[in-house]
Amino acid sequence: MNLPIELLIALFVWGTLVGVDLVSLPQMMIARPLVAGTVAGAILGDIPTGLKLGVVFELLQYDILPVGAVRYPEYGPATVAAVATAHASAGVLGLGLGALVGLVTGLLGGVTINLLRRVNSRIIHAAAAQLETGDPSVLVRVHVGGLLRDALRAALVTVVGLTLAWLARPLLGSALTVRGAMLLAIAAVAAALAAGAAGTLRLVGRGPNLAWFAAGLGGGIAATLWLR
Amino acid sequence: MAAVTPPAPPPRRPRLARALLRLFAVQGSYNYERLLGVGVGVAEEPLLRDLGDGKYRPAVARGAHFFNAHPYLIGLAVGAAARAEHEGASPDQVERLREALCGPLGSLGDRLVWAGWLPFLSGLALAGVALGAGWIAVGMFLLIYNIGHVALRWWALLAGWTHGRRVSVALHHPALQKAGALLGPAMAFAVGAALPLTAAYLSGPFDSWARVALAVVAALGFLALRLRGDRLNGLRLSLVLAAVALVVGVIWQ
Repeated sequence: MNLPIELLIALFVWGTLVGVDLVSLPQMMIARPLVAGTVAGAILGDIPTGLKLGVVFELLQYDILPVGAVRYPEYGPATVAAVATAHASAGVLGLGLGALVGLVTGLLGGVTINLLRRVNSRIIHAAAAQLETGDPSVLVRVHVGGLLRDALRAALVTVVGLTLAWLARPLLGSALTVRGAMLLAIAAVAAALAAGAAGTLRLVGRGPNLAWFAAGLGGGIAATLWLR
Repeated sequence: MAAVTPPAPPPRRPRLARALLRLFAVQGSYNYERLLGVGVGVAEEPLLRDLGDGKYRPAVARGAHFFNAHPYLIGLAVGAAARAEHEGASPDQVERLREALCGPLGSLGDRLVWAGWLPFLSGLALAGVALGAGWIAVGMFLLIYNIGHVALRWWALLAGWTHGRRVSVALHHPALQKAGALLGPAMAFAVGAALPLTAAYLSGPFDSWARVALAVVAALGFLALRLRGDRLNGLRLSLVLAAVALVVGVIWQ
């Protein structure tokens, strides 16, 4: 991945915004992989690649239901890194390598979210007495501190993701034949489809919505066959 | 005799607007000790400013205690707790109100948004992309999702402030019940339709043998996730499959 510095900066800023949007501010779903990937593709002048990787990670996102304090991978900055990787390699090689870089970045992002929450817990525990005074400036300081730490976290995850994107092609691209690249792409897409289907079924449950899911599935299959 | 909620204090639109803006960052200091408590306190603070001396700071401190709920519906708790403070509710009553709201706001928001509105629109966007709508489908997703998102946050804050301690009335609003009843089937249908369309879209550049392999691996992966969902998740499955593919790809030159 050899990109002009202005594009790298734009990807870095976008990845950071996406990372902050996931939990902290404003949760408007730019962190959704489909959005993150499309905009990353637009930054690179390669929207089709952004859409394709966005769809892969959007399917993986169905596996996650962010209820309570559950831990989950972070696919927003991961998708930005994945698109940057795929943009540098054409066809299925780009799809496979991009997905691999995105998965590793997503795993790292999830770990950092958990770490950040632990750090926030310690800071808030230490500030408990001050918070109990009801001083609004303390409250705002503690809260804004959390926001800034999340922005820093998102920036770091994006930097690591873009570094992996830069390393992926020289390290793996040359070691893979066309067949190997195809296998990697198959693995990524198959896992995404499996996760998307399993995650949706978990949401749907065994009640009356299952019939609606089956109807949708049937309609989707019919439309796919008709459009071939 | 049931307590009657006094008439709402004069409208404080600028303060409600300020609280709303702060609600967009309510999870900014998410932690395992108070969960969203500090963010809730920050959002509630503008609504407490005209409490008399001696009441303001204790109310701000209470606002920052432990709290957890769906982020889009937290406005209900923020508005209701602030209104209760203005009505002179005792600290115990305010704490009980907050505790009572955690569960219902969490489950309602999860059902309406995380398991309804979001996957429904995401499914439509996936289908749109697969059918060739491209970035327009993504833009429409973002636009329509956020119309609902912002409307829900604003309604929640206003309803909380209006009803105060009787905020449970707002939780039984017919529109919420109707939305819950519609979004479940709509989500199931939309994502069900999107799955085969996206499978065809993603397998477009694959050879015929690769499509067969894709179908087999996806089916096995799906079964593994269904049968071992307690240990396996989408990320782990993806990483394992990618590692196997890399090894096989390097060996099978």
